[in-house]
Amino acid sequence: MPNWQEFVGQRLSGLALDVAEKEEVHAELSAHLEESYESLRAEGLAEQAAINGALSQVADWDKLGRQIQSARRRENTMTPRVNRLWLPSLVTLLVSIFLLPLLESLGLNPQFFFLVGHHDRTYGLSVYTVWLATLPFVGALGAYLSRRAGGTRRAIIISGTFPALAFFAVLLSVIPYMGLLEHRLDAGARSVFHTWTSEFRHLGVVAGWVLLPGACLLIGVLAYIQTLRRLTQRGVSSV
Amino acid sequence: MIGSGIKRGTAELAVLSVLQDGPLHGYELARRIEQQTDGALRFTLAALYPMLYRMEQQRWIRGSWETSANGRWRRCYRLTPIGKKKLLPLQREWAELFRALQQLTKAAHA
Repeated sequence: MPNWQEFVGQRLSGLALDVAEKEEVHAELSAHLEESYESLRAEGLAEQAAINGALSQVADWDKLGRQIQSARRRENTMTPRVNRLWLPSLVTLLVSIFLLPLLESLGLNPQFFFLVGHHDRTYGLSVYTVWLATLPFVGALGAYLSRRAGGTRRAIIISGTFPALAFFAVLLSVIPYMGLLEHRLDAGARSVFHTWTSEFRHLGVVAGWVLLPGACLLIGVLAYIQTLRRLTQRGVSSV
Repeated sequence: MIGSGIKRGTAELAVLSVLQDGPLHGYELARRIEQQTDGALRFTLAALYPMLYRMEQQRWIRGSWETSANGRWRRCYRLTPIGKKKLLPLQREWAELFRALQQLTKAAHA
């Protein structure tokens, strides 16, 4: 069977569309050709005849490219990537950030856990359990917004887990300056800070602000995709 | 066989009418229209997608990537509230047109 994706990609490589949108058009059209080909094969046509039959649907690829470009021209200035990726990601990030003080104002404070490390030193960990419990819903919200705007699977997953990615990016830029920050603190604060900047600091901070929230967000995204899959299997017809 | 000019005019109505029954991806949409019109309306890939994209721009339909019944990742189209509102007047307009044409042909034969 031909590689339809590659074939369409070559024929419509000149589409002046956003990269994501171009990929989407390629994927959609190649899926159509693939199904046409399979249908013709199922009718008993030989491979080459089925390929020719599927390809006969497009007489002029350049013309089709122009028509698609003209049809997809946006009246608004927002690119599909903004609608499908950046806006849902921003919403997910803002909701997850503002949920923290909101929950605290409702008296749902973080829980403290104490771990004993080397030399019997005790490390305090604050875990925002209630906040973490809300994150699957935030992840699902991001996934929903992205999908509603026609986002691809990748865009849906990134939109839903974006806060964890953003926290990670922030941490990467902050961690190198932790030592400097500690130096500027007074002695009392430094001892408290020291427990935080100990050997567990990177793991603890990354786990608390990236891995755990990321996992919670991802649970929401996957639950959303799974629910959607179940619903569409009931409602969407296919060959 | 219906001529291409009329086909073009009825194409949007056909898409909206078929999507009324539920979401479909492009290939299945074309197949359904062909089946339901006994082959009178046939959409090739080249005719279908520019129209679907235009209708999506007009917000009559909305496309989103979904897993179809056979487990494939497909872009499925569904009617939007705007599309639903558009469908009834379109159906009425076309019904009136065909009624007028029938009257005209009857009068010509009389």
